[in-house]
Amino acid sequence: MRVPSGKAAVRTDDTGALVRAAARGDSEAWEALVGRFSGLVWSVARARGLGAAEAEDVFQTAWFRLAEHIGRIKDPEQVGAWLATTARNESLKVLRTGQRATPTSDMDMLTPGIDEESPEQAVLESEEAALKRERARRLWQTFQELPERCRELLRALIASPPPSYAEIAVAFDMPIGSIGPTRARCLKQLRELLAERGITGRPGHS
Amino acid sequence: MDDDPEDIELEAELRQAAELLDPVPARLLRDAAQAYTFRTIDAELAELTFDSLAAEELVRGSDRPRLLTFQASTRTIEVEVAGAGDDRRLIGTISPAEPIPIDVRSRERVTTVTADELGRFQTGAGLGAGPYSLRCGDVVTDWFSA
Repeated sequence: MRVPSGKAAVRTDDTGALVRAAARGDSEAWEALVGRFSGLVWSVARARGLGAAEAEDVFQTAWFRLAEHIGRIKDPEQVGAWLATTARNESLKVLRTGQRATPTSDMDMLTPGIDEESPEQAVLESEEAALKRERARRLWQTFQELPERCRELLRALIASPPPSYAEIAVAFDMPIGSIGPTRARCLKQLRELLAERGITGRPGHS
Repeated sequence: MDDDPEDIELEAELRQAAELLDPVPARLLRDAAQAYTFRTIDAELAELTFDSLAAEELVRGSDRPRLLTFQASTRTIEVEVAGAGDDRRLIGTISPAEPIPIDVRSRERVTTVTADELGRFQTGAGLGAGPYSLRCGDVVTDWFSA
């Protein structure tokens, strides 16, 4: 998107500066925020098992709210936490209406577009890539079997780009010091589940 | 963080799996960018002060309509979300009551309705896809999903 002439775009890693620039009308700064935090907002929206359509509503509401609040954010450095908290609150509201995705529809999501793959493409995909994809699918399937608390926290932590513990602590209303230990415990549990299912090591390492 | 290398590796692998199997839909990135063009800079923001979905211990699957209250310094706007999908409509009251136009904003379009002498207003169907926000004089509400 073009920046109005005479206004320098903010190119910085400083989140607070991006928020302040967006509040002044710098659309490039806004787009930088979208790039930085969309992964986190989506992860939080999906963390409690909302279906894709409901998670999309949550995602949009969080970003539309931020656009109206951008000049009123108390702590611009923590806008990621603000977005994640908004997304989590909205997704909890949706859960109260009982619109949770069924396990079946979650499983459907695990094989996106498989029918669209032409035989030519299937041949083109190298055996290594196919193994990698299969491993990712099995890992993801096993991940869905974790207890809700673990699934929720880990889903948010594995957002791209990775969120800070401070952002996660605010969004999930957890003491920041308990995130590390909870994460370690949840990953251990996942490793045990993977071992039970005979899914060990990375492809090529086993 | 004194991290176990095994943990770091498993987490990285999970992140790759999420990117592959549950990525942010591209269309949503466009929606988030577009949200910026909707921001209003010449209006007071009426914040959400009551939401029946947040307030009640709802029975799952309850189909009672959702009630929302937005509060600004000069105005209160109450909204009920009725119907679903294409048939969704908003019914509400502004106070103090005043027969003035109200813009119902959605991602797709703006629909204008007029409040009556008692401050009551109602939209028809065809609001477009949510989220929604109302504008009434110099007050604009927070966005809400339906």
